[in-house]
Amino acid sequence: MSRSIVKFAAILLVIAALFYVGLFGFDITDQARVFGILDEDGITQGLDLKGGTVIVYRAQTDNPSEDDMNTVVNMLRTRLDNQGYTEATLTRQGVDKVRVELPDVQDAQRAVETLGSTAELIFAETVAPDPADPNKLIAEKQVMTGKEVKNAIAEYGQTEQGMTKSSYYISLELTDEGRDKFSEATGRLVGQPIYILMDGLILSAPTVQTRIDSNTCVITGEFEPEDAKALAANIKSGQLPFSLEQVEVRTVSATLGEEALGNAVKAGLIGLILVLLFMLIFYRIQGLMADFALLGYIAVVFLILANLHINLTLPGIAGIILSIGMAVDANVVIFERVKEELKLGKTVRSAVDAGFNRALSAVVDSNITTIISALILWFLGTGTIKGFGITLLIGIVVSMLSAIFITKLLLKQTIGMNIKNIWLFGVSKKKPVDELKGGKA
Amino acid sequence: MYVKNKGIFLTIALVLVLASIASLVFRGFNLDTDFAGGMAVTYEINSEFSVSDVEAIANEALGADRSPSSVQRSGNEVIIKFGFDNDLDNDEARSDFAMTKIAAITEGLIAKYGAPVEETPAEEATEETPTEETPAEEAPKTGVVLKSQDIVSPSTGRELARSAVLMSILACIAILLYVTFRFEFTSGVVAVLALVHDVVILLGIYSLLQWSVDTNFIAAVLTVLGYSINNTIVIMDRIRENTRHARKETYGQIANKSIAQTLNRSINTTITTLLTIGMVYILGVPSIQAFSLPIIIGILVGFYSSVFVAGPLWATWRDSGVKKK
Repeated sequence: MSRSIVKFAAILLVIAALFYVGLFGFDITDQARVFGILDEDGITQGLDLKGGTVIVYRAQTDNPSEDDMNTVVNMLRTRLDNQGYTEATLTRQGVDKVRVELPDVQDAQRAVETLGSTAELIFAETVAPDPADPNKLIAEKQVMTGKEVKNAIAEYGQTEQGMTKSSYYISLELTDEGRDKFSEATGRLVGQPIYILMDGLILSAPTVQTRIDSNTCVITGEFEPEDAKALAANIKSGQLPFSLEQVEVRTVSATLGEEALGNAVKAGLIGLILVLLFMLIFYRIQGLMADFALLGYIAVVFLILANLHINLTLPGIAGIILSIGMAVDANVVIFERVKEELKLGKTVRSAVDAGFNRALSAVVDSNITTIISALILWFLGTGTIKGFGITLLIGIVVSMLSAIFITKLLLKQTIGMNIKNIWLFGVSKKKPVDELKGGKA
Repeated sequence: MYVKNKGIFLTIALVLVLASIASLVFRGFNLDTDFAGGMAVTYEINSEFSVSDVEAIANEALGADRSPSSVQRSGNEVIIKFGFDNDLDNDEARSDFAMTKIAAITEGLIAKYGAPVEETPAEEATEETPTEETPAEEAPKTGVVLKSQDIVSPSTGRELARSAVLMSILACIAILLYVTFRFEFTSGVVAVLALVHDVVILLGIYSLLQWSVDTNFIAAVLTVLGYSINNTIVIMDRIRENTRHARKETYGQIANKSIAQTLNRSINTTITTLLTIGMVYILGVPSIQAFSLPIIIGILVGFYSSVFVAGPLWATWRDSGVKKK
């Protein structure tokens, strides 16, 4: 009996510890940290919670290629970085859409204008500061624009004959008109730089080595592989084969998000307390064990959310709260079964065993059908629906496991403590107690 | 009693489903901006205001021939929705239209109810000097604040609807396959019929009452799809078990017994789920209420279909199969 009490206490301690870590996080070593849900680096709040602007762009063409869409993403990335929107996230959505999330940005109009302007690629002989914006440059004397570039690719190899060092460079393919302009300019400007400007910022300023009279030319520099690819994509995006249509613009103010989060947390807490009480009143000692298991379930969900850095949206939170109500379902199925077995006159120990075993198929089958729906939401849904799908999925899987394993483990310990009063299991004592054979600890 | 009264139960279900389908066909949905395309703008107005005044301002801002499709009030917030002009054929025009109209409404409201307190400088300063945070927050709220704005192009809704239908069909097929594999084909069909019942009635209620339908509604319907199957499966599981032990009982008797044995569980699970999602509905902001209400309705309808429709339907089908043999 005392062994059971020790084990029981140990399990409760583990649940309490999990709960603490799930909330506040824990440093394993200086480098490794288990994140908690209240950690700043734990969960990322969706825009509907922390406020900001979402813009969804769609390519105005029927079947944009994978390359084209990646070019669009690169182009938007560059523009966002240039404008100081460094916290922005970009995600591909479906085949032909790009979702831009701008945290904390309230001025949707300015964001749309900034992103919507066509990227301007200019090759210039001389540049001067932009009178409108001191951080930018304008071309004083223009050689050609992005329109004259047919294609740009990042390549690796020796850029000049006789050089042994290989490096990344950008290979440009020019239109015929571009070839003429470029050949004329490079002829004049040997030894001088040509400035390549993108949206008023210098992408690169290669020095002309020799007159270039061909449809291809290269831009060399000390490029990192990623830089070279991004630069090529940027130059190419100066002439995207299609334009972008903004199909959604949504702005949420930070105060609205805060309010929504506060209300949701409050609703979750009250809902949780109601469920805990309900289980305790209806299933008594089993309910108490289920309540402990439910707290363990919440702790594990917090840990998963925080450590997978899941993007938590408002429907996502609703999904978690809903899952608290659903989480006890497996327990309810099992406990009703245990009650039935007790009514048949079985001992507490064998009733619990039989109840768990017989209810297992119902628990597994009913949860798997819900998992199927959650998977479909996660894979096929977009935006907030996707966020809801993932939290629902985590909730169901963890709750099923916690109901089957944690509750059973706890219940076994209580039986070990020799609790045989079947009233405590929610069965009324109509039958004389001596009809029931007591289990031995 | 469940199978004995199946005539009544199944008739109720059938009537509700047919009424829902009729409403869906004849009344359709009140599509929100997510589907229909258009603008939804939320303002917080920190002084006395009336919906009709706001509507008048919006009318004026939108121009003589247009009026907002809806103006809803919730607390000190007001949500104004309006559509695009039909003659705007390209995106740029629509974007300009949206931005100018929203700006016009904001101006109109500010003219009437006052400008908000300038909080921006204080907010920026807080990063370096946290002490300044307190006065900014304590300052009394005044004037009109633009809290959220959604601009959705009409094409988005069509894709959203298409993907929602696709997700629902896929979910039904996957569940049918799984249930057939784990139980048998009759159970699979009955489980999916019960699901279709739940979803159609849920859609029917929204159509009949013309409640607005948005993205959250889709997520809710799909949740109901996943949740209401739970009850049905638990009953089917008990039927499966009882069938194994049955000797002379008819399928009707087996179904009856199984439903009765699992009834407590069906009721209690429904209650615990309603407790949590109910709190979300009661305390939530409008957007989350729009998500939790259909789930609540779906859970209730799902309870009915699991207890009163799925079992009796299964028994009827199986018993008729026996008689033919």
